[in-house]
Amino acid sequence: MNPQKKPNKFLKHLKQYGALYLFLIPGLILVLIFNYTPMGGIVIAFKNYDIFAGGSPIESIIKSEWVGFAHFKALFANDDFTNAFENTLIISTYKIVFLFPIPIMLAIMITDIRSKWYKKTIQTIIYLPHFLSWIVVTALFIQILGPYGVINNWLKSAGVITQSIAFFGNNDIFRGLIVISAGWKEVGWNAIIYIAAITGIDPQLFEAAKMDGANKVQQIIYITLPSISNTIVMLFILRIGAILDAGFDQILNMYSYVVYDKGDILSTLVYRAGLGQQNYSFATAVGLFNSIVALVMVLGGNWLSRKIFQKGLW
Amino acid sequence: MIESRSDKIFSIVVYIVLTIFGLTIILPFLNLLATSLSDQVAVSNGSVAFWPKRFTLSAYQFVMENRQFWNGLKNSLFITVVGTLLAMVVTTLTAYPLSLPKFRARKTFLVIFIIVMLFNGGLIPTYLLINQIGLRNNRWALILPCLISTYNMLLVKNYFETLPEALYESAKIDGATELQIFLKITLPLSLPTLATVALFYAVGFWNAYFNGMIYISTPDKMPLQTYLQTLLNMAYIPAHELPPEIAESLSTESIRAATIFSATLPILILYPLLQKYFVKGLVLGSDK
Repeated sequence: MNPQKKPNKFLKHLKQYGALYLFLIPGLILVLIFNYTPMGGIVIAFKNYDIFAGGSPIESIIKSEWVGFAHFKALFANDDFTNAFENTLIISTYKIVFLFPIPIMLAIMITDIRSKWYKKTIQTIIYLPHFLSWIVVTALFIQILGPYGVINNWLKSAGVITQSIAFFGNNDIFRGLIVISAGWKEVGWNAIIYIAAITGIDPQLFEAAKMDGANKVQQIIYITLPSISNTIVMLFILRIGAILDAGFDQILNMYSYVVYDKGDILSTLVYRAGLGQQNYSFATAVGLFNSIVALVMVLGGNWLSRKIFQKGLW
Repeated sequence: MIESRSDKIFSIVVYIVLTIFGLTIILPFLNLLATSLSDQVAVSNGSVAFWPKRFTLSAYQFVMENRQFWNGLKNSLFITVVGTLLAMVVTTLTAYPLSLPKFRARKTFLVIFIIVMLFNGGLIPTYLLINQIGLRNNRWALILPCLISTYNMLLVKNYFETLPEALYESAKIDGATELQIFLKITLPLSLPTLATVALFYAVGFWNAYFNGMIYISTPDKMPLQTYLQTLLNMAYIPAHELPPEIAESLSTESIRAATIFSATLPILILYPLLQKYFVKGLVLGSDK
């Protein structure tokens, strides 16, 4: 260390922290190119993007004509958009209502188990689907629910149905299928954080309750749930914040044009309209609408979480 | 203490519910495996449940001889190994300065990384960017954009923050540079969290299919999951693509099942071995 005082504050700062700036360079370059540059590309939502206007995408963006908010004004008059927006909200709400409580129940059950062997095995099994891609999960569900799959066979041999049910091609069933398969994949994994919270409860509380003659259900109601209520409320707020994320990879793999009516969501619409029909400007406008509403929801959720718990996502 | 009657019933219900849930996860795999090992007659009359009927290995023979499968596997291995290594380098390098309280500028840089977690340009502008910079039909298009996830970086940063500052102080007095401290103190002390995050990246790279679907146009560069997706979208595999000696006896379902099972096997084998690390690392990292 140099004990001499440097006259230049900037040089001193650089000498002390210069290495740390160097550490940041690779990460900064990557987010600059792959995250911030596309944000600039959002301008095409305000233009009529024509791929052939220039020799490269950037040239084409510059040369395409401005149309202002025309694409946004057209959004709510567009049936595909209103349908996808409605489906996004409905599917997400179903997922929250039906799937949010399950990890809490799972965590309570898992922490109740005494047999170490069983506890480890069941945890290993229920975390597993989280690590599979939606391609594999879709393949498994098609396998089971397909026209010759086991479920249709059982239902037929039990006399419940005479013709196979088209689980993936039925507008009345599709949303249920989405909620159930999302649950199958993620509820086990989502229990981890609650298991950690329950494991952290002071065991003396349970001992004292047992002395007073409380049974397990009473212990859950009066000790476990109140002790983890902060975790529950915080995760609930953050989950609501992510309401516009209805599950792009899942739906892209599971849906087909037959169920667009009940299954198409904003992000799948962006994909089809943009990369399928090359309707770039419209797709970008839908995507931007989605991103902005999502941003407001996430910021709102985080603000609320910080206000209540002095702790947010970041 | 003697268990009361209601507590016993509670415990029994817990075992029953969890076992049923566990079975709903295992049985689809057994069904997939059984289908992959059964011949065409058994699969098409729908009699295969959880045990192979009219056992045959020809679906696996087809997978082993399928060039697309091996190409996909090779590409996915390359993307996963190279991607995970580079992602760990970038992520830990970024997390280190952001974890040091003495580094005043860290707040500003943190904001830069959090913004990209909350807002992005969206599918179309990103797609146009990849085209613009010439990464179209290049395997690096599946690696470079995924090298830093803010979520993973924050997990690492939060863990780095829990390391005792006294260690850093004494290293500083001994004249260690930031790079030496980072390599010799910070990283070795963070192995469980680093293993967790490496696993998250590896699973992310292994499972990614979408970028492969939109950026890769030649089959020999396709990652495995993208190939699986094309296989899934095929109503049936054209007979001329099958070797004549097995075309008769093999159903599209069996081939699909055998391919999916072979592609998932690495995860099924590695995952139980790694499980203890990631649960520990996740809980440590999330505890701010």
